[in-house]
This record gives sequence, C-alpha cells and structure tokens, in this order.
Amino acid sequence: MDYFIDDSIMQKGRPATAGSKMLANFISPLDATVVTRLKTLANTEIHSKSGTDEFGASALTLEPSDNLPAAVEAVKNGTASIAICNDYTGSVRLAAAANGLSYIHPTYGTVSRFGLIPAASSMDQIGVVCNSLSDGFSALEAIAGANPKDGAMFPDERYSYQPGKSGIKIGVPAHAAKDPAVSEFVKNFDSVEFELKYFDVYSHVMLILCFAELCHNINRYDGIKFGHRAENFQGLDGLYVKSRTEAFGFSAKLAAIMGAFVLSGENYTLYYDKAMRIRRLIKESLDFGKYDAIILPAHSENDPLTRLAYTALPQLAGLPSVTVPFGGGISLIADVKRENTLFSAIKEAGL
Amino acid sequence: MKYEVVIGLEVHVELATESKLFCACSAKFGADANENVCPACAGMPGMPAVLNKKAVDLAIAASIVTNSEIAPEITFDKKNYFYPDIPTGYQITQFFAPICTNGWVEIETSSGKKRITLKQIHIEEDAGKLIHDPRTRSSLVDFNRTSVPLVEIVSNPDFRAADEVVAYLEKLKSLLSFSGVSDCKMQEGSMRCDVNISVREAGSSELGVRAEIKNMNSLKAIARAIEYESGRHINALENGTETLFQETRRWDDDIGATFSMREKEDATDYRYFPNPELMPVIIDEAWISTVRDSLPEPAEAKYERMTIALGLPVADCKIITGSVNLSRIFDETQKHFGKPKEIANWIIGDLLGIAGAANTGDDDIVIDCEKFAKVIQLVSDNVVNRGVGKKLLAKVMDEGIDPEAYVEENSLGMVLDTGLLESAIREVMAANEKSVAEYRGGSEKVLGFFVGQVMKKMAGKADPKLVNELLVKMLGAD
Repeated sequence: MDYFIDDSIMQKGRPATAGSKMLANFISPLDATVVTRLKTLANTEIHSKSGTDEFGASALTLEPSDNLPAAVEAVKNGTASIAICNDYTGSVRLAAAANGLSYIHPTYGTVSRFGLIPAASSMDQIGVVCNSLSDGFSALEAIAGANPKDGAMFPDERYSYQPGKSGIKIGVPAHAAKDPAVSEFVKNFDSVEFELKYFDVYSHVMLILCFAELCHNINRYDGIKFGHRAENFQGLDGLYVKSRTEAFGFSAKLAAIMGAFVLSGENYTLYYDKAMRIRRLIKESLDFGKYDAIILPAHSENDPLTRLAYTALPQLAGLPSVTVPFGGGISLIADVKRENTLFSAIKEAGL
Repeated sequence: MKYEVVIGLEVHVELATESKLFCACSAKFGADANENVCPACAGMPGMPAVLNKKAVDLAIAASIVTNSEIAPEITFDKKNYFYPDIPTGYQITQFFAPICTNGWVEIETSSGKKRITLKQIHIEEDAGKLIHDPRTRSSLVDFNRTSVPLVEIVSNPDFRAADEVVAYLEKLKSLLSFSGVSDCKMQEGSMRCDVNISVREAGSSELGVRAEIKNMNSLKAIARAIEYESGRHINALENGTETLFQETRRWDDDIGATFSMREKEDATDYRYFPNPELMPVIIDEAWISTVRDSLPEPAEAKYERMTIALGLPVADCKIITGSVNLSRIFDETQKHFGKPKEIANWIIGDLLGIAGAANTGDDDIVIDCEKFAKVIQLVSDNVVNRGVGKKLLAKVMDEGIDPEAYVEENSLGMVLDTGLLESAIREVMAANEKSVAEYRGGSEKVLGFFVGQVMKKMAGKADPKLVNELLVKMLGAD
C-alpha cells in the first residue's frame, strides 16, 4: 500500500518543511507517531515531498490559491491511495472534493500529534485524503489511538471504524438547505432543518484563534537553533528580524502580526477571549439528540471567508467529519467519536 | 522625616523532579552543556508538551507547607518571550489559574514573630543559560536548564526590613527542602529571588516608586542590596539626589551597588494565552491528601523531637535541623548507632569541621551513614581513640574506606598497654627535663604539652585518658 505523508509530519532523516522556506534545511531527527504506526503495517511504501502551503496557512490569508495541496495531488495523480496531513483550515478537504476525492477529519485528540509540526494547536488534527472512505477509515484505524507523547488525547488505545445501522438522521442548517449538493444528498435521508447558530462569525473565530496559535507556534523559528539563519546580521534582534524576514512567506508573516495583535493588551479581551467564548457557545449550541449528523456544503467556488466558515465547525468543536465529492462537495459532521455514524451515512447514500 | 521600606519577593524554586516539566530529560544540575536536551526541550516543532505529574505533586506540597489555598483546577499558559534561552519562543507558565493563592509563612526576627502573606504560587518552566564570551563577542546557549520545573512564590509587599527578608528566605528553604519540594541551593540557582523594593513616608498608605532587583542568589547579597537600595531611595526622597522611576536593577556584589537594567516592566506585553496542548488538571481532595500524607517530618517537628524527646542541646539541634541534609544524616546514622547524643556531637564537632575545612556546605556533605555510625561505634567501644576516629571519619568522607578494615590494616587500635605507655612517658620526660621541673614547680599547664608529646610518640594511637592518668602519676612521683 502506498501512503503519502505531508511534510508537516516528521519522518526520520527526511526534510520536514511544513511548506516553509524557514524549514527548508530541517531534517527530522525522528518519526511522528503516525509514521511509526504506518511502518508497522505490511507492505507499506511511504512517499513525501516538500509542500508549498506554508504551515498550511494560505487559507487564512484569504488570497485565492491555485496550488493543489500536496496530499490531494498525491492521491489524485496516483502516487498513493492514502495521503495523511493536517487540514486545520479546511482547504485540503475542499480541494479533495473538487478533485473527486474524500477527506476524513477524525475527532480532535484521537490521532497523536507527536511529530506534527504545529500550526493552530487547538485545531491541529491529522486526517486522511482517500479515494474510497473504506480505505481511508482502515488507514485511520492504523494511526489513531492514545499515545503518551501527546498530552491532549482521549485515552482509547484503538478505534474500530465500520458502517453501522442505516436510518441516519441528518440535520440541515437552514442557511444551507438550498444548496443543490446539500438538498440532493438529504433527499434519501430522514432530515431536520435547524438554525446553525453563530455561523455568520465562524470564519472570524477561526481567523482569530488560528492567528493567535500560529503566532506562538512559529516563535521557535528564530535562526538560533535550526531552520533558516540569516547571514551578516547585526546583534540578536538583527538575527531574529533578518532570519524571519528572509524565510517566512506571507502566511507566516501575517499570522505573526495578526496573532500578536489579537493577543496584545486589551485586544486579548476584544478578540482572543471573545473568540474563545463564541467557540464554547458554538459547541454548546449543537444538539446531536435532534440529528445524527450535520450537513454543510464543501465546494470551493465560494469566497474565502465563506469557505473558511463552511469547513470550520469540525475544528472549532473538535468533531469528526467526512467530506465527499458529492455534487461538488458536501461535509457531514457527527458528535465526538461518532466517526461510524458518518461512515454509515456515506454507505447509506451509496457512495 | 521617617521612612518605611516596603519589600515584596518573587522567589523561584526549582522542583526536585528527576525529569523536566514537559519531557523525559534529566532535570539534574551539573551535567555538561547541552547534555540533558532532547528535541522537545530544544524547541523543535512536533513535540507536544506532556505534563510531568511529579512536578504537580511537588507544587501541591509547596502549597500545603505555605498554608495556601489550592485551586481545584489548574491550567497552563504560553508567555511570549523572544530570547535564545527559551528555545520555543514562549515560556509555559500559569497566568490565569495558578496552583494556589493566599498562603502565608511565619517568620521570626529579633523583633518577634510575623506572618508574611503570599499572593500566589505558580508552576512554570525554567529558561536555559546563556554564556557570553566577551573575547569573541558571541554567546553560547546551554539548554540543560530549559524546561526544568519551577515554582514561583509571589509574596505580598509585607516586608519592612532586610532581616525579615532573610528570615523568610531561610524559612522557605526549610519548609521546601524538608518537604522534598526542592533542594533550595542558592549557589546552584535552584532558589533565586527578585526583590521589589520601595520607600515611603512612615504612616503613608501609598506605595513609593518601585525598583525590582533581579536574580539575587545569596542571602548576604540580598541583605546588602536591600540596604543599598533603600538608602538610595531615601537619599533621593530626602535630598533630591535623583528622580526615582520604576525600573529593573541589577546588584553588583563586587561594587556593592545596584545598576539600572531597564525601565519599568509593566509595559512589556507577554501576550499570555491558554496553552492548547495541555489539558486543564483537576486537583481533588484525594490528590491533596495523598501528598499531605506522604510529606516528611518538617524541621520544626524534628527540632522538637530532638530537643524534647531526645534531650539534645538546643544549639546543636538548631544547626542540624537547619539543613535537610544534616537532618537526614542524623536520622540515617541513628539506624546504625543507638546513641543520638553522640551522633549529634560527632556531626557538630567533627563532621562539620571536616566539611568546613574542605569548603563543603552543610547541604553538600556526602557520607555513607552506616560507615559514619561504625566510626562512632569504634570510638565508643574504645577500639580507637577520638583523634584516630576523626581521621577515620575524614577518610570515610574522602575515600569511602571501611573503618573497621582500615583500623585493622593500619593497626590503629588504641594502645592500652600501660608498660608501653610508661616507657614512652619516661622517654619524653628525659628529653624535656626543663618542662618536668616547671610542672613540679607548680605549673600544671605543661601537662597538656606532655600529653601531646606522648601521643605523638605513640603515633596518635594511645588512650588519652590513660596517658593523662599515667603522666599525673609519674610527673608527680619525683
């Protein structure tokens, strides 16, 4: 079996750049937990290549991007049947669906992030790009499960993913009900319309939290210990400024500045803390007693803010989701550790 | 005008864990540069922080011994901090939910007892060390200390004089070292202190302009720095020698003065925010009880036990319970030798003497207590005399000899043979006729000289009591 590992996931002896010039010369000293686990499978071939989406953050710049994520490209061109990456902004799943592929975003804290170059730690989640969800879920079975090297995980050692009973009830957010892909998909399901509260600020919450967390996580790239180091600098601050100016791209620079902004002084209360409060309200507003899974559009023709909003819920609430190329792309989102509900729904839809 | 000095302290204490706060590296002091470093504490990406529970145990112990209110749930935050000694570019600390608040410590000075109240204690990771080389104008980083667990103990501005500060630090050291929280070795940096000091008119309720003296690591220096700094402030207030402003200062122990490092700290924005890699930690009553039940005997209880139950001299007990290491040696040696009074004598009279001569501090004395007990036993059983015993003790400390075997091999057993001693005394008397005459003329103080001479002749192995007796008899016999 051929696997593609995004180069934000560390493999011993191979470059781990997370798409940043800052890490162009960074060779990983160790294997990420997911890599170690994949290597225990029989007949495993692991591919990787340097990515171009710096820290996976291009979606946060709200600039249009024509670059196909490396994980999607690898499955699309047949290099691998499974690609493993961290899609915390949602751009990978949108590109996957647009290219006829699927994406599984497992429950937050079920796959170890040891060896994953961190971006937005509260949303970083290793997921799977695949041709078929059955293959995708069996790959996920191999890599998921508690690991003492990651302190923010569920204790379950192993997960078993398989489709269960049919009769899944789908919750359709009122504002998305008219989307052609959504309405087509729910035709064959029992469904209920509901109001997805705070959806109008999903993207804002995403941006604020991602910038804040990225800003801290890229502090470590300072030219002192590893990564790019400028030449001919003046003093310590000169080394910092020159190294970071030379090696960071637009995404990282924007995150550094915006992250510092939303955490500084009284902005903490105005932006970061408010975003965290809304995030909690978003989690609390969901009622999986009324529906088994929520459906949202996942096609990429929308404007960048809407794209962010449509793919934000799983990361903001730590929920599992699958994205399939149905009618240009839809995502289903289930309650915590209810991946099997999603698996069942997709089977029930005959996909 | 009368002035009042107002002081608050921030004391950093390294927790006595085996490993670091968020990785498995050794947290021990004294390794070669960058020996105790892994990808996580070198700040490499992809290494989620995983909390060392033992550090929380010790922080709970610190909270208990300082009478603090322990929080039911604690969290960890990231503090933005760009400097090469913190490789991640942020320090993990507790800003929003520290482990405990509202504690107090009772101190005693010449003016009586006083309660110092604590604002809070929080857990955080230590920074690495920078070594500056002025010749090459470069700096080197040692990450051994990076991520070693600390607690920062923040007092309220309750101190009014340097002696209170010294008494408080000594008390903290006693509380924390006896409870196993930290070894509190100021010279190794496992206990460090920032002094916040201001001066106001006596009776005023408003605080004066504050200076913070950073990173003090000796009690003597702290006392001197407080004297200097309060003098500087009073001089400024009274004589207008300078305008005071809020600043961070550095103490120069050689010059005996403080120097400005930078202007007020409050402007620094550390951009704290909750660390998403670390889940909140719930501290329930059961956890606190487990820690409380496993706390070793505190210095005060030990002192009481030694003075009252064992009836040992107060001065000796003060010295022994002043150091967790001496207390441990005392307790440990008792397991092998049943007379605590003699052990205390040996610690005060001999052990500390030998250590002092080698410039070893009370906390750094290393000795095999079973062998120490054996030495005391040999003297107590009259196998060797006290002088030989002291030499044996030094050999135990330096070379780890087995005292019994050493006595055997070097025939150091005490000479009790009266005939041998008498002939030695006769020789000494013959060689020192003048002194014999002096003695017989009534000068008894020369007796000491004779004892010394005879002991020397007997290579230090004679029984001094017996020598004394024989000398008195033979010198007096005419």
